[in-house]
Amino acid sequence: MKLFCRRVIAALLLCAVSGIAHAQEKTAVRQGFELKRNSQKKILVFRPAVSVGAQSTGGMFEPNADWTEKSKANIRIALEKFQRQLGNEIVIAPEAYGEDARKVEEYMALFSAISQAVIEYQFFIGNRLPTKKMDNKAGIFDWSLGAGVADLPGAKDANYALFIYNRDAYGSTGRKVLQVLALLGPGIAVQSGEHRGYAGLIDLKTGDLLWLNADSQIGGDVREPDGSEKRVRQLLEDFPGSAIEKEAAK
Amino acid sequence: MRKSSLFALGLIPALLLAVTADAHKLRTSGVSVAVADSGVRVTPTRDWNRLDVKPGKKAETWTLDGTQLNDVTFYGGIEPGNPLVKERSKKREPLPKFTAATLVVEVPELLESTYRAYKGLAAFTVESTAPAKFLGQDGVRFTYFFTDDDQLTRKGEARAAIIKGSLYMVTFDAPRLHYFDHSIADFRALADSAKLN
Repeated sequence: MKLFCRRVIAALLLCAVSGIAHAQEKTAVRQGFELKRNSQKKILVFRPAVSVGAQSTGGMFEPNADWTEKSKANIRIALEKFQRQLGNEIVIAPEAYGEDARKVEEYMALFSAISQAVIEYQFFIGNRLPTKKMDNKAGIFDWSLGAGVADLPGAKDANYALFIYNRDAYGSTGRKVLQVLALLGPGIAVQSGEHRGYAGLIDLKTGDLLWLNADSQIGGDVREPDGSEKRVRQLLEDFPGSAIEKEAAK
Repeated sequence: MRKSSLFALGLIPALLLAVTADAHKLRTSGVSVAVADSGVRVTPTRDWNRLDVKPGKKAETWTLDGTQLNDVTFYGGIEPGNPLVKERSKKREPLPKFTAATLVVEVPELLESTYRAYKGLAAFTVESTAPAKFLGQDGVRFTYFFTDDDQLTRKGEARAAIIKGSLYMVTFDAPRLHYFDHSIADFRALADSAKLN
């Protein structure tokens, strides 16, 4: 009886955790920011960061070069399709080399860290920081990459930058087996697979994050062309001024 | 399955995160407060958040925007024979210990070896070390850089002193891009306000 109760609690907890994930906010806009369609503003699009691998039984990320290359190509094609519908003029960031390439990479890593902090400490209701709770009540969404973004390659030719970050870890067979065994045995909820997708619009003068769509369990198998299209659509469908239709409305 | 194995797999922390609703506490500007279950008190000059999850028995973490972006950790009287933070597994992942023979000038090295082992870092560089007062005692102030597995290089600044055989320290870690410079003055004001009863 005791064991049965434990399993029921585990199952309820799993439902509660996934319920929280679904109820959680995913997008936010900086207070006062508005971007209308055809506003004559230029958006600098950086090459999306893509890393794909497997999730080991212990939950570690194991990169897979083949999946990553395939996904990069798929996402590039999908982005080329959707960026035309963003509602404003697109400028493709120039190919960066040497120090410039390192700088772009570090800002992309900072964008990812900010997105994770937003998800963990502002979007996740049960884990909100007290100061972020006060921000939310006042309608404040105040995050920044800093004014150093003005030195990124191509920044002088645009008003805003679009950063896109993807990291996908597909649950290995061992992880999936563990997920089942952990639930049936000690009654622990184990997540198999991790699919993070973040898209953000950044003011190229101040570095302020103007719009963010950040999801730690986003859809679309990026290893497949259809899945990548779904992913990019989900990342950009709420973009301010965008003409991209939501998938459900199709 | 043992409890330590569950921690190693990251299972229990995931569950704790889901059930520790509203657990972080506001640390209000101008209000004196005890930190790290020790005799140390600080008076912040702006509002901070104290995280509910403690990295160790005598350690406590504060942040403004999340630990990814600004992390202040207080170590309140680490006694000889103990690590700075709680070991995930004493057997498989032991951490370096503060000992009775540790000199205050060796504290930067202790933090480096702890970070290398605990965070699995490949790159950590101590940039500068200088004598400085902390908690009214002779101590050390040092700065450092490290690159985490999220490929982000973070800069750190710390103050430490050994008082009556125990180690007292406060560290500030933040990405070198924007976040370190943005909040270093707030950290220094916080560290300056620290007093030992």
